[in-house]
Amino acid sequence: MRILIHLFVIAVLLATPGMSQSAPQELRYANMPPDAVPFREFRKPYQQWFLSPDTLAYYGAARLASDGDAAGLHTVDIGLLGPLDTNNPESLYGIAMLHGAQLAMEEANASGGYHGTPFALKVHDDLPLWGASAMEIVKMDFNEHVWAMLGSIDSSSTHIALRATLKLEIPIVDTGTSDPTVTETRIPWLLHNFPDDRQQGYALADYIFNQKKLRRVAILRSTDRYGRKGDEIFFTAARRLGRQPLLEAKFEPSERDFSSQLRLLESTGIDALVLWSNARQAALILKQMRDAGMKQPVFASSRVVYPELLGSAGSAAEGLVAVSPFDPTRTDAGWLAFRERFRTRFHAEPDAYASYAYDGMNILIAAIRSAGLNRGRIMDALRAHQMSAYQGVSGSVFFDYTLNNIAPLTMVEVRGGRFIYWPEHRTDWDKSASAALVPAPTHVQP
Amino acid sequence: MTKLPCWLCLATGLGPFFSAGGAIAIPASSPLYTKWTNYTAANGFPPGKVYCVRVDGDRVWAGTGHGLVLIEHGQVKRVFTPADGLAGRAVMSIAVDPQTGDLWIGAFGGLSRYSGGQFKTYTNLSSGLANDLVYSVAVKNGEVWVATAAGVNRFDTRTESWSIFNEKNGPFEEPWSYSIAFGDGNVYMGVWGGGVIVYNPATRSWRPYTDPDGEMEIVLYRNQGLIHNIVSSVAYNESTGMFWASTYFGLSGYDGRNWHNYLTKDSGLASDFINAVQSRGDLVWACTDKGLSCLNYKSNVWTTYRRLGTDGRGEIEITGPEGHKSKTVTPSALAHSYTLNLDFQGDDVWVATGNGLSHGICQLTQ
Repeated sequence: MRILIHLFVIAVLLATPGMSQSAPQELRYANMPPDAVPFREFRKPYQQWFLSPDTLAYYGAARLASDGDAAGLHTVDIGLLGPLDTNNPESLYGIAMLHGAQLAMEEANASGGYHGTPFALKVHDDLPLWGASAMEIVKMDFNEHVWAMLGSIDSSSTHIALRATLKLEIPIVDTGTSDPTVTETRIPWLLHNFPDDRQQGYALADYIFNQKKLRRVAILRSTDRYGRKGDEIFFTAARRLGRQPLLEAKFEPSERDFSSQLRLLESTGIDALVLWSNARQAALILKQMRDAGMKQPVFASSRVVYPELLGSAGSAAEGLVAVSPFDPTRTDAGWLAFRERFRTRFHAEPDAYASYAYDGMNILIAAIRSAGLNRGRIMDALRAHQMSAYQGVSGSVFFDYTLNNIAPLTMVEVRGGRFIYWPEHRTDWDKSASAALVPAPTHVQP
Repeated sequence: MTKLPCWLCLATGLGPFFSAGGAIAIPASSPLYTKWTNYTAANGFPPGKVYCVRVDGDRVWAGTGHGLVLIEHGQVKRVFTPADGLAGRAVMSIAVDPQTGDLWIGAFGGLSRYSGGQFKTYTNLSSGLANDLVYSVAVKNGEVWVATAAGVNRFDTRTESWSIFNEKNGPFEEPWSYSIAFGDGNVYMGVWGGGVIVYNPATRSWRPYTDPDGEMEIVLYRNQGLIHNIVSSVAYNESTGMFWASTYFGLSGYDGRNWHNYLTKDSGLASDFINAVQSRGDLVWACTDKGLSCLNYKSNVWTTYRRLGTDGRGEIEITGPEGHKSKTVTPSALAHSYTLNLDFQGDDVWVATGNGLSHGICQLTQ
């Protein structure tokens, strides 16, 4: 099977437009641009991780545990951890994630559940205080006996759950965090389908420096882990492209007045600004920036791409370019049908968090149905997605050896008060055989 | 009867270890364990994973997913659970206070003290404990050091006062902490994503050791420094003055001047995914997901123990300094090759595995 997967990947690489002139080179971790490879001009690393099939190999005893008896269960329970309390600013994403997961589960139950036993969600709130949600996965295990978990969005909570599950051995499907380090631990209990900060940072860096030829760039980001990890990736990629950002300014997640940071940025003489922020603060920054007479182009991370940005920033948002985890203006039948079902069920538009949660829950339910009620085998079924594509309502994803999605992203620009989307295309994809993993789907959405 | 050192176990029928490169000399200070007794669901031990094991004289304590297990004279004497007052069902770490004999238990659910037959539990809500996910606990001079998901605690048992060390007052990249060890007047902290942080309580000074290449996906040079920042465990060897760090990306040792790193591709290490490390004398023990490996640091000879299939037999693999390997089959084996923790009882070794507790026994001769 592994050989077939490798042959498939090589075939895809050879078949990718513009790739046939050169032989396939070795894969680069996380589909990173050649110029972003660490120490590339210095030496070959002594050891390279994450590029071999055994990256997430599991040698423990979870498969030996007795299988659950579906006949004796009222429900087959799956945990969900997400920011759901409306006092938590991240509940915007968490509630969407919950709804996506709910819809997938309801549809699975309508089609027979698990051999006639319905699936059920055990919902846990992910509190914004550090570590406050640490015990939730423990409760899922010992109190609720869940077979797997979906979540979370906050990178700290996801990491803590990941560490706990290394001991407890509960499969996790994460559909919302953009922290790239959650799949860089070799803990073989997590699949992650949401485009992470590596993919976002590489896409932005290539667009800004290679395609737009901008030089004097600064970063303005939130002080939380979302801003910090995203900044790290973009900053490093920019430095390796020979365009080290001139300045890195920060703001607190509760901050509303950005005048001091903007004065500093303006005095530095920047050509462009990169925001790692949510939509609410990005809207304020854009308005204050334009009010101050600053006309530099602005680029942003994916959390900025929300209708709130357009409503709050108005014309100040015009020209903003960001990365997006998906393209909601697609017209393929799968997306349109999902969007309609979601609208009917929740009276709202499905966003990226809802879409990836819907896909993630479908992946998880398919794994449980095929593997049975045994956590070790459920994770084996998830692990089978290594180096394969999955076509879902969020688009095409591709899981690497770390079970992280490294498929190309979507770019988006604000034009005429609307988000206009187009597929990411990095400059190195025209030159290198190894970077563009744009495979045809191998899994069909149930 | 006299209990002889384990390295004489070769005389009990194993024979010499030969490889393609010739005979591998087993150093005199390298034990070999050819006989294992296992405690599993088959003989009354709680089923599944054993997270930790601690020897306290004749008593052996094991932390499992079903509570704290006491073994005396080869028998499971008692299984303590939250119903008895234990902080949580999943017990990650156990420490014995050498002065009082009290037992300190780190669990997913908080920290417990077992004293005089009674449990007293400390949680994030009821005490100064930083977080209820406790990964490691260690006791020295009346001070209990606790590694939690949100920082390291110091609990002074004399004053009942708590201190917390995290990114706000120490060189922590992240507050997630995994392991505590003492040595040379220092406290060694294994920190998830933050490497090894050494704290000197006397001078209140810090010294962090991190991966110098700074990248999750590579090791730039073999002996570059700490091999990776995701540190699962840290141990200090009083004999050699070295500290050792296990990671999910190989093994690192530091002698105060040079780093000594090991991967499966350049040594006899069973796997790069290491759950725990221990070191005493010339030996360094690595609990990996593919077996228990032991390095004789002086001779650079590795011994790895793993279970073969389901018939109860085991395998000992010896890797010589030049990389030559030799294997022999043993009639008994570890309960499972996925190993998580170990402790010593004289020359014997107790190993926590993914499917039961194992006791590696020295041979007895008449």
